[in-house]
Amino acid sequence: MAVALAVPPTRMELLKLRQRVSLAQRGHDLLKEKMDALVIEFFEVVRQIQEARAKALEQLMVSHRALSMCLAIMGTLETKQASKEAKRELQVEISTRHIMGIAVPAVEVEEVERNALMRGYGLHMTSSLLDKASREFERALKFLIGLAELEGSAFAIARELEKTKRRVNALEYILIPRLKEALKFIMMRLDEMERENFTRLKRIKAMLEERE
Amino acid sequence: MSADRLIKFELSKLNVHLPVRRLSLREALSSSKPQVVARDGSVHTFKREELELLAGLLPQADRDKLQLPILIALEPKLGRGTARISGEAEVKVVSQVLEKEPAARELLIYRPEVAILRRKLPTTTQYLFLW
Repeated sequence: MAVALAVPPTRMELLKLRQRVSLAQRGHDLLKEKMDALVIEFFEVVRQIQEARAKALEQLMVSHRALSMCLAIMGTLETKQASKEAKRELQVEISTRHIMGIAVPAVEVEEVERNALMRGYGLHMTSSLLDKASREFERALKFLIGLAELEGSAFAIARELEKTKRRVNALEYILIPRLKEALKFIMMRLDEMERENFTRLKRIKAMLEERE
Repeated sequence: MSADRLIKFELSKLNVHLPVRRLSLREALSSSKPQVVARDGSVHTFKREELELLAGLLPQADRDKLQLPILIALEPKLGRGTARISGEAEVKVVSQVLEKEPAARELLIYRPEVAILRRKLPTTTQYLFLW
């Protein structure tokens, strides 16, 4: 049971408390609506993460298979040598977009997939399997960047959801019950005072009647 | 900070993600970077694919009427999970996206429909909290 607030039992305090209860109730209702909206957003991002993760894992599997083929046909040393010759500078622009005031990461990346000439290793000494493996890994990288963006969004939304839930619970289970308890106390006390007054008046009236 | 001030502060923060000025669909389509500035100063950018989807759903004449982002108004007095879409063009577009009976100027949608709407139009719709 909520602990009642220590309040003076006056009509003024009763009016103030009624206003406070109404404000707390309004805040609670709105924060609950916000929480529901955040849950919708969170589940949508989770659904997207599941799809993106499945795609990324499948692509990584394809990439590793292509690399294994390349290692087997071309040889480990040659493949490692070619990988050292390969150069990559990928421009990734990380900005933020807002979902209900929550800043979630937005990643913009230039085209990840390149043609064989741009990769930097010599073409006359390498197999086409190396090109295939590189291409598959570049595709996997694109999926992984997308997945990172979604996971960042999920974390940000989950953090906000946790904060909002804590506030809703504080209002629902602590503040509003306390205020209502105090309100009830004042109303009962005022009623009691009215009854006392009524009895006192009746008693005085009876005494006056006896005297007459 | 007292509990009341905290609640007031929370309520004042609920709608800071809304734009200072909304863009019409025509303006958004003609802009090279269709975006609006929110009350908290952040920039909200619309995805072009979504704008093109909306343009396909509306006749040319109505493109000036549709204000972006479309506001999904959540009001506790409507009941938990109920949202209101206002505006003639907005209602027309949302009814088509959700495959609902077209309403006049106002449409009430429910939580599963809000989820579908947000999935299909993530950047061109935003929540508005009313009390």
